[in-house]
Amino acid sequence: MKKHYILTAVAALALSFGSCSDFLERDPDQILTEDQVFSDANMIKSVLANYYGRVTWGQHINDSYAYILLDEACRSDGGPDNTQSFGDAQWRVYDYGLIRNINQFLAGVRAAKVLDKDVQLSVEGEARFLRAWTYFNMCRGMGGMPIVGDEVFDYKAGMDVTALQYPRSTEAELYDYIIKECTEIAPLLSENPSVNGARATKWAALMLKARAAVYAGSIANYNNKMVSPIKTAGGEVGISADKAKAYYEMALASAKEVIASGKYQLQNTKPNDKGKNFYEAVCVKENNKEVIWARDYKYPGQTVEFTKLNIPATHAEDIDRCMYSPILNLVEAFEYVDNREGSIKTKDAQGNYIFYDKPEDAFANKDARLYGSIIYPGAPFRGMAVPLQAGRKSLENSVWVSEVAKGGTTDAQGNVITSINGPTTTNDQFINKSGFFFRKFMDETPMSSTRGRNSDMWFPRFRFAEAVMIAAEASFELEKQADAVTYINLVRERAGIQPLTVVTFGDIVQENRVEFAFEDHRYWDLKRWRIADKVWNGIPNDPNAQQFALFPYVINEPGNPNNGKWVFDKQPVHMAPYPRYFQPKHYYNFIDQGWINNNPKLVKNPYQ
Amino acid sequence: MDNYDEPKSKLYGKVTYNGETLGLRGTGEAIQMQLYQDGFELHDPITVYVGQEGTFEALLFDGEYKLVTKDKNGPWVNSRDTMVVNLKGSTECEVKVTPYFTISGDAITLNGNTLSATCAINKVVSTANIDRVMLLLSKTSFVDEVNNIARKDFTGLAAGNTSLSMDLAGNTNVTEAKALYARIGVKTSGADQAVYSKVIKLK
Repeated sequence: MKKHYILTAVAALALSFGSCSDFLERDPDQILTEDQVFSDANMIKSVLANYYGRVTWGQHINDSYAYILLDEACRSDGGPDNTQSFGDAQWRVYDYGLIRNINQFLAGVRAAKVLDKDVQLSVEGEARFLRAWTYFNMCRGMGGMPIVGDEVFDYKAGMDVTALQYPRSTEAELYDYIIKECTEIAPLLSENPSVNGARATKWAALMLKARAAVYAGSIANYNNKMVSPIKTAGGEVGISADKAKAYYEMALASAKEVIASGKYQLQNTKPNDKGKNFYEAVCVKENNKEVIWARDYKYPGQTVEFTKLNIPATHAEDIDRCMYSPILNLVEAFEYVDNREGSIKTKDAQGNYIFYDKPEDAFANKDARLYGSIIYPGAPFRGMAVPLQAGRKSLENSVWVSEVAKGGTTDAQGNVITSINGPTTTNDQFINKSGFFFRKFMDETPMSSTRGRNSDMWFPRFRFAEAVMIAAEASFELEKQADAVTYINLVRERAGIQPLTVVTFGDIVQENRVEFAFEDHRYWDLKRWRIADKVWNGIPNDPNAQQFALFPYVINEPGNPNNGKWVFDKQPVHMAPYPRYFQPKHYYNFIDQGWINNNPKLVKNPYQ
Repeated sequence: MDNYDEPKSKLYGKVTYNGETLGLRGTGEAIQMQLYQDGFELHDPITVYVGQEGTFEALLFDGEYKLVTKDKNGPWVNSRDTMVVNLKGSTECEVKVTPYFTISGDAITLNGNTLSATCAINKVVSTANIDRVMLLLSKTSFVDEVNNIARKDFTGLAAGNTSLSMDLAGNTNVTEAKALYARIGVKTSGADQAVYSKVIKLK
């Protein structure tokens, strides 16, 4: 018996020693120390990749809903869109957590010994680029915010926190800081385009610099032309007018450097099919010469739902379809090849319908970017026409009356009454409500609209056309009219529309709207030009503020010469009853009261 | 005992010019006042919403409060002077503002499909300019630039006696409405809100 005890004790002892060496003293494999990270080049790269994944803000294709807030698209998912105004925190970015992480990373990379000197510098450049981009996203929403430099804050119990509380910078100081950072890091970064534009290059830094400068220039310029300029006493919001010229000059110089780089171009690989060419320049990654920096997605692992949610019912590969759809307001903003007034001709001067042989004929001779950005009735997608038919019209006492049915209904002869794609004025799910579908950012890859796969479409943040448009805008503001004409005509020529001989402010607004539709430009552009409250004025049935749809009908009147032809009705989007209303308080996000409680040095924004 | 009794003291207030309350937008949290109380660590204001008749009220604990208008909010000259309110039981207060314009002598009538209005628009601040005058019709007693079933905007008007009219033919919301209320609004260039006339019940 005694022997038994001894054996058990020995066994227990042996077991406990054994576990000491290979279980309890294992190094954690989920938590890595800074030494471990910064002594391994691959580890450094994956930390950097983490930051790239944390900088997608504003309007983007992983948030389709965001497209309905402006004058670009509406809800088609069945639910009502009760949007009237904008939120005090609309697209607000306040991410000092990320800035702290980047500053920790910078300290680590600068001390790391495993990287070659040039790699070390370019990694530092990328991290600082992402930090500048983060500040830029904060600044365009809120104005000046605290600039913390490279400092990594640490808190120890009992310490005096007031040393950690930084006041807001002025709006001009923050733009200046972003511009200075971009200037300093441009030489550190690679001059060669990165794979799928996913990583920052010298040209991305110069684009951010140009954009920051043109934003700052427009605020200095247009804010002070308002009846009641928006500014705070300390300059956290508002930039003095005398700074405008220098900012525009900086924007022009930086944009020119990108244009002259020879690394990118206004992609024009299919000059005989300008619509498809534009789609490919923005949406196709292979051999792309246009996109400078993008949020890239890759299957498997990093995919995006945009194609799945918004694909036409006729083309759907899964149950999801027709969730959000572009509106007539945007379609009509695209000019005709030879006519700057872009409205779709549905009625003649006497108010009678114009009859079209095919629905797509109503969109003939439009700016090729319309084809490249929006699927209109009868336009092809993935090699197959996209039908859009709200119903049929027949004559009753010499008046055209509509016959509509549930989507996908045919009559006894098998003729379609209402297309499975819609549009309809029901509150049904999975059917179009506006008469148009997205094309820009819709993936043509098979199976990219399934839940199992999803899409790996990218989302460009900077592309060459923006360099050209910034050059055009800055030239215009600096009264270099001839240069402005040259630049804007480069963009218009690729789109196949008539060149301009004179550039006005309205032309700049117009060209940006159609070139960069759905690319997170419109909201910020209208804000910095201080015209958002004029365009989205909240007046019912206003042509800009109210959302409009275009409903196609086929004529069903056998014997009538127009039988089988198409007519169109323009009408307000029934799911969005309220006009968009941008009030002066929306020019700047509100500063959150919780942040002020933590840091009493933060001052509030105007109207707050 | 870690619970307080609920606040029971009531602060009644009105926004006035020359002793008259101003007609405002009373929906969408459009016009706000802020109450601050000293002596606490944090400085979150208590937001008080002003109704369309220019009055507001708040249930509070007794004490000394500081009442201010919200920055650049309202159809009046922005002035953020603090008003000290000593609240003990029910207290009334008057927030005196200088509106850019006032509306007086207003009359609105509905004749068939035509809504007609007359009023005098009085310029109070000599540098102010009218951005637009709005004629508004609603099926509830809440009438403003957003809450309406018919709205017409008139631009290019100057201060003085004004006649406005709106054709309502074809507006099914109006024909189906069980009740109708109308109002005139005047928006000043650069101001975030309009000043309104009294609400007039037409039906």
